[in-house]
Amino acid sequence: MSDGSTGTRSWLREPLLHFLLLGAGLFVLFRLVGGDAQAPKEIVVTEARVEALAENFARTWMRPPTAQELTGLVEDYVKEEIFYREAVTMGLDRDDVVIRRRLRQKLDFISEDVATAVEPTELQLRGYLDEHAEKFVEPARLSFQQVFFSPERRGDAAMRDAEKLLAQLRAGSGPADPWESGDATLLPPGLEAATPQEIANTFGEDFALQLDEAPVGQWTGPLRSSFGWHVLSVSERIPGVAPSLLQIRPIVAREWQSEQRQKLSDEFYQAMRSQYDVRVEGELGELLEEFKAADREAAQ
Amino acid sequence: MRIRIAVAVLAALACSVVASAQQITPSQAYRPADTTKFHKAPGYSPYAGRHYPTRPLFGDEHVHTGWSGDAGMSGTTLGPEDAFRFARGEEVVSTSGQPAQLSRPLDWMAITDHSDGMGVINLIREGDPEMMSDPTLKRWHDMMNKGGESASAAMMELIAAQSNKKLPPLIMDPRFAKSAWERTTAIAEKYNEPGRFTALIGYEWTSNAGGGDNLHRNVIYRDGKDKADLALPMTTFVSENPEELWKWMDGWEKKTGGRLLAIPHNGNLSNGRMFELQTFEGKPISKDWAEQRARWEPLFEAIQFKGQSEAHPSLSPNDEFTAGYELWDRGNLNLVPKKPGMIQHEYLREALKNGLKLEQELGVNPFKYGMAAGTDTHNALVAAEEDNFFSKFSGGEPRADRWDEDAMKFGDRVVKGWEVTAAGYTAVWALENTREAIWDAMKRRETYATTGTRLWLRFFGGYEFAASDLDARAPAIPGYAKGVPMGGDLRKAPAGKAPTFMVAALKDPYGGNLDRIQIVKGWVDSSGKTHEKIFDVAWSQPNKRKPGADGRLPDVGSTVDVANATWTNTIGAPELGAVWTDPEFNPAQRAFYYARVIEIPTPRWTAYDAAYFKVKMAPEVPMVTQERAWSSPIWYTP
Repeated sequence: MSDGSTGTRSWLREPLLHFLLLGAGLFVLFRLVGGDAQAPKEIVVTEARVEALAENFARTWMRPPTAQELTGLVEDYVKEEIFYREAVTMGLDRDDVVIRRRLRQKLDFISEDVATAVEPTELQLRGYLDEHAEKFVEPARLSFQQVFFSPERRGDAAMRDAEKLLAQLRAGSGPADPWESGDATLLPPGLEAATPQEIANTFGEDFALQLDEAPVGQWTGPLRSSFGWHVLSVSERIPGVAPSLLQIRPIVAREWQSEQRQKLSDEFYQAMRSQYDVRVEGELGELLEEFKAADREAAQ
Repeated sequence: MRIRIAVAVLAALACSVVASAQQITPSQAYRPADTTKFHKAPGYSPYAGRHYPTRPLFGDEHVHTGWSGDAGMSGTTLGPEDAFRFARGEEVVSTSGQPAQLSRPLDWMAITDHSDGMGVINLIREGDPEMMSDPTLKRWHDMMNKGGESASAAMMELIAAQSNKKLPPLIMDPRFAKSAWERTTAIAEKYNEPGRFTALIGYEWTSNAGGGDNLHRNVIYRDGKDKADLALPMTTFVSENPEELWKWMDGWEKKTGGRLLAIPHNGNLSNGRMFELQTFEGKPISKDWAEQRARWEPLFEAIQFKGQSEAHPSLSPNDEFTAGYELWDRGNLNLVPKKPGMIQHEYLREALKNGLKLEQELGVNPFKYGMAAGTDTHNALVAAEEDNFFSKFSGGEPRADRWDEDAMKFGDRVVKGWEVTAAGYTAVWALENTREAIWDAMKRRETYATTGTRLWLRFFGGYEFAASDLDARAPAIPGYAKGVPMGGDLRKAPAGKAPTFMVAALKDPYGGNLDRIQIVKGWVDSSGKTHEKIFDVAWSQPNKRKPGADGRLPDVGSTVDVANATWTNTIGAPELGAVWTDPEFNPAQRAFYYARVIEIPTPRWTAYDAAYFKVKMAPEVPMVTQERAWSSPIWYTP
């Protein structure tokens, strides 16, 4: 790998050559982007364009641009327009994955706009609610209080102590304030009208599941959570309700529209795709053909 | 005496202090700094009329969907609706076609798509008068509004017109650009359900000064669509200078009567610029500048998918939990390599210290940041859980090879897939789950940042806390009664008193036990030199684990089975708490204190990947992590 081993390499390091190549490259680029003094191209910045630029500025800053700011905006627009035109002339937009995705997304946006343009009728919403009733049911809610026994503090005695308190409470001989017998904790001493998810968020999933079966209006337990043992009393169980359309109209409309959006998007794509004859080449293509043939046979 | 009071309190509270899941109350009434309400007990019962947050609300203040230019262009097909659905706990299909669902719903989320390049989207369906002056557009508009087949036909005509280059020119007019923003705000409106799930309106202002020096800010709205739509988001095409963003926010608030705040992120990728001790233009920091920054930026994002910006080992060499922890410290966002001296202006702990110093000089602390965390996802999935990690871009979604692929690449400078961090969420101590209450809690910094765990963390500072306060039925009661919560201020200490702190943490019911709670103290001495020290204040198995002669607490150990990506909660504690008095307090010195909670070791997302895909990763890939949380600081100002 010594310096003089290949003539080409040392030749390639020649600064004069770099200079010449750079010059030639710029010349070619200049020709490519059409730096031809004979035929000046035209950019007309229409009044409407200037207005639009000013309006866009005002939408951000909530005041019109000053004359100087507006001149800057126009200058920047001109620059962008020139770069845009020249880049397109050079074909820089072709085979650019970023531009392809952007265009796909823009078309997606348009098709989604169409989907959300349609306001559902009362009848449609009612039908949708009936059909998907389970999706809109307000979950059952529970109110309960709990006394905590910490294995950290009591070791194996935690469960026994919990059982002891429970027995006292059931026999009516418990302390006036049962919490006196338990341990201090950041866990809340109870929850009011909480859904199973809300209970799980604080006390854990297992605890929420066990609570599901707890009787109302009496002390029960002890239940195990990932924190320790709990003696508890469910004061109220509010059954789940299926709300009427009147109560949750915006939510039903949101879900209906979301489904429509998905459906119409798929339809648009299928409609466009049906205009194309798609052929996959190579081994995978053959495999796909076989699958298709099998599908057709199965259909018959 | 104290015990008696505690008993009386318990009895009084048996019914009254029950955390309510669905309670809606006006949030304006809640001001922890209001001494008449929170520091004195005018009536006999000190607990009557208590009004404070009872549970933390977990969410993400940093979410990109396919509508962000870089996300859409890298292939993300999921939009804001999918993002909200996922955060609310629904199952969605990811861009790579995989079903995805969170272990449990989040309480709130802000979508912060980049303001730069929010797409030009047509307004045909809205019947914009100018658009409707074009007969073709008018006809399409009518067809679309009929819906069904008619709408499909309009769509096909439009496609044909496009391919034949006969699209009406008006459709591409930039003045219709506004609808991208209005669409975003409309979706937030649809998914915002006070009391159940809060959809905050927001955007990211993405300043990459000097070629990738990350000065990004998430702008979070307190208000709804009606106000948000009155102006387009600020873009960096207008300016890359944060001062211009503050100016824009100020103008917006004055015009609309609404409220805004900004959350900067990724100081670690700013190449020395996030917390530099000069203005963006290189001028000295003025009092006015410091006021602006403190006013508009109450929170800083301490961790996210692109690493942590809390503290750096070179600045905090004695911090064993920062060494090697989720560091992205080789370059900026374009991986332009760092030069010596940059790192000291990138990390929050150092900035908090410099803030004290600046306050000493200027009278105002510009870096008075509370803690936030977000994902910065770019595939619309706020999946920050180690066993459920969908990574940043759609290309990083679960796949056998993702650990070994390049997450970022500029020339030969690379960040590998395994370096991406599965974090984080912001926990907000808000009075209720509404936009207003969550925003207000952010503004007063009553927040803590987590790495994706949903552990609970309470942190109060005052001069009167005693060990027995932790035994109260709800430690929050003495907490608010005798001190200030996280994010608050302690004024000059009474003669002979040192600040006391009550800190308590409860493990995530779905997560690992707790190893320890620490308090990180920073201060500035009379010569203007800044210092920091970390105190272990509570830890599990205290009978077995005693600090050594060097003051270092023995490790908690590990139960992680890396090969199977499992662990057990047989070490650590489900709950830890302490009342701690600063043993080295100097009443003349400005200081801040924040709590850090460390969980026991659990498998990192890489271990879950290795087990699921049955791949062997390189030896440098960390397979175990310790999830954690950082509270907003409490500041002492003499």
